[in-house]
Amino acid sequence: MLLSEDKEVQDAEPVSEDEVDELLVEEVSIDGMCGVY
Amino acid sequence: MSVTDERVEAPAPDFDPDRAWRVHPQVALRDESFGALAYHYGTRRLLFLKSRPLVDLVSALDRFESATAAIEALIPENEQAQYTRALARLAKSEVIDAR
Repeated sequence: MLLSEDKEVQDAEPVSEDEVDELLVEEVSIDGMCGVY
Repeated sequence: MSVTDERVEAPAPDFDPDRAWRVHPQVALRDESFGALAYHYGTRRLLFLKSRPLVDLVSALDRFESATAAIEALIPENEQAQYTRALARLAKSEVIDAR
C-alpha cells in the first residue's frame, strides 16, 4: 500500500529539457499588439 | 522567367558552439530585474532572458573565440549543457548570430 506522499511522487510528471530551458529563455509573441497603444 | 522574392530572409544557421558568436546587430538588450529583454528590430521578436548569468554570457560572447569558451569561462560546469541549449534557442530566434 502506498502512502499518499509516495503516490504524489509517482504521479509527478518528469520535467522535459524544453521545460527546463524555458526557465532561461521565453519568446513572447507581440503579433496583434499594433494599435493597442 | 523566375521571380525572386527579396523579402525572403536566409534561415538562421544551426547553432555551432565551437564558432564565434555575438549579439545580432539588430537586437537590443534591456536589463530587467529578472534578467533582460531582447528585442529584434528585424524579426520583431521579443524574448525574455530569465537569468542574469545568461545575460552576462550573451553580452560577453563577442569577447570569446567560441560560445564554448564563453560558457566554460562564465557558467558553472553542472549548468553548461543547459546554457548551451539556451544559446541554441537564442540563435534560432536570431538574437545571436555567428561572427
